[in-house]
Amino acid sequence: MNYTKQIQDIASKLFTEGKIDIFIGYQQNSFDDNQVPVLITDPAEIPKLVFSDKSVFNLTNYLKFEHTKNKRVGLVVKGCDSRSLNLLLTEKQVKRENLYVIGVCCEGVTDDNGAKAKNCEVCVMPDPVVYDEILGNPSGKKPYRVDPDVAEVAKMPLVERADYFEEIFQNCIRCNACRHSCPLCYCSKCCIDQETSTLYNGSNTVSSAVHALLTWSMHLAGRCVDCRNCEKACPSHLPLHLLHKQNEKVIFENFQEHLSGMIADDRGAFYKYNQKDPDDFIM
Amino acid sequence: MSFSIYETDKQGLTAFYDAVAGKFETYAPVEKFGKFDYRRITKIAEGNPDSPIAATMTVKPLFFPKSSPILKFQENKEETLISNNIEGDLSSGKRVILGIRHCDARGLQVLDKVYSWDFIDTDYQKKRENTILVSTRCDKAGVNCFCTSLDYDVENSDAHDVKIVNGLNGKIYIKAVTQKGEDFLKESPVSLKLAGNDSDEEMKKQYKSFESSFRLKMNYKEINEKLQNKFDSPEFETISRNCIGCNTCAFICPTCHCFKISDEKIRDTGVRYKSYDSCNNTYFTLMAGGHNPRPVKYRRWRQRAMHKFVYYKERFGVNLCVGCGHCAISCPVNISIFEVVNKVANS
Repeated sequence: MNYTKQIQDIASKLFTEGKIDIFIGYQQNSFDDNQVPVLITDPAEIPKLVFSDKSVFNLTNYLKFEHTKNKRVGLVVKGCDSRSLNLLLTEKQVKRENLYVIGVCCEGVTDDNGAKAKNCEVCVMPDPVVYDEILGNPSGKKPYRVDPDVAEVAKMPLVERADYFEEIFQNCIRCNACRHSCPLCYCSKCCIDQETSTLYNGSNTVSSAVHALLTWSMHLAGRCVDCRNCEKACPSHLPLHLLHKQNEKVIFENFQEHLSGMIADDRGAFYKYNQKDPDDFIM
Repeated sequence: MSFSIYETDKQGLTAFYDAVAGKFETYAPVEKFGKFDYRRITKIAEGNPDSPIAATMTVKPLFFPKSSPILKFQENKEETLISNNIEGDLSSGKRVILGIRHCDARGLQVLDKVYSWDFIDTDYQKKRENTILVSTRCDKAGVNCFCTSLDYDVENSDAHDVKIVNGLNGKIYIKAVTQKGEDFLKESPVSLKLAGNDSDEEMKKQYKSFESSFRLKMNYKEINEKLQNKFDSPEFETISRNCIGCNTCAFICPTCHCFKISDEKIRDTGVRYKSYDSCNNTYFTLMAGGHNPRPVKYRRWRQRAMHKFVYYKERFGVNLCVGCGHCAISCPVNISIFEVVNKVANS
């Protein structure tokens, strides 16, 4: 999966035609083989652009910042990234006419150790669902599978599982990096921000971590696209995907096999009423 | 004043660590979710004092916790009662921390300046006095490390009490660096053998090999002087473009010390907490009237970089950044403060 040349060509074409103000892609780290995002405004910087299986970060996260808002943006998306872009479009956070999207048919990215990333193992949609230009050959939708980590945690006895999650919350330092790195967390005022919230206390105690992480994951229920930006950003390496994948599983099983961001203008499991929706939890 | 140097081997060191862990309240890096954090241990097998620097959190939380109660209050009809007696006394007894890095220890030395400035933080001071830092010198620099390029002497640093050096000849040297460390080694629960005359030479050799493994090097004096005139540099805008504003860099930095005060209240009683905060946070400078002097990201980045490399040095005479590279390691988009200050200084 190497589309460096194609992406560079498209970017330079876009700049010469004056179609974009800013291009968001990946660049090579100077000291190891990992890649980091790069925001280009000057066509002279185009040779920096690369794309390979190390292009991990979900770039749609950058669409919420002041320096990209209301600008014409060109960007590269993989399967999962395009699903989050679809949601941002549905939720009217970005204008489609401002974007030029290069969709890449993803063959799976690798983690720091060179192994296939864990989220790619359970990926349901490696092909881009929104794009102006597509690179690679689409391989089609994959069947939904329950995340092996979620299945493993579900097998734990209740007490052990409680201890395991308590360990997670204890290690949380409340830096909110998970929130900031999530492309779907675009609220200008967030309920887990200690400064603006009266719902949650401002301390970084375990109880506040429980509140913050659970509320955050509930806000992403039925929306999370499993790009795992949050996990990459977490300085304590917490397995945050357990929360999201569990929500995804519950929603998939109960809401007509709903998967987030797969189709344009799909408002999500919590926004539409269906007669088949379960109501057995109502007393 | 010269302090004693002892020599031992790998097994001897493990025995020494084990004995220390059995006798004192000991902390060492313990692995949790693939990341090492300083935790209480009773046997050395529970932790790993030689944990890789790239996967180790800083030691700062043992002195300045991510969240600590500072007072309790209770309201009744007539008055509000305030008590400083917090459950589980904040200041601890005598502690030993194993496996701390030279840069991390220097971070505490840098923090001492601000904690003994206009307000004396007695809790922090007490913890510092009661703690013995046993530092292991790295054998090889990490990709993001640049401690040797800064304003302190890493080789002869006195930020820790005892240093452990893995000699290139296979011997391990344990050296007391302060009087506190000297006394600690004298009362060591296992008997240690005094090192031969070649120990200083061997430790120098190890340092030379360590020093040559650095990828990042800079001329600190030059950077510091150049940065003083770069407040209006347009480069701050360019370098901050990639930043996603996640605050991680400040939370895991061994020297970042900004905090916020908040109350946790249930009905009439509550606790006031002091918790970490970050200058990269949009709300950090938000005033009650709604004005925010640093509303955009590049201004917040400018504050971070200039505070680390210029303002703190001006006020306290030491550089706030210790070159540990924790920020670059944890940054989801690999922004390194080293690159930032170099780019801005040379713009």
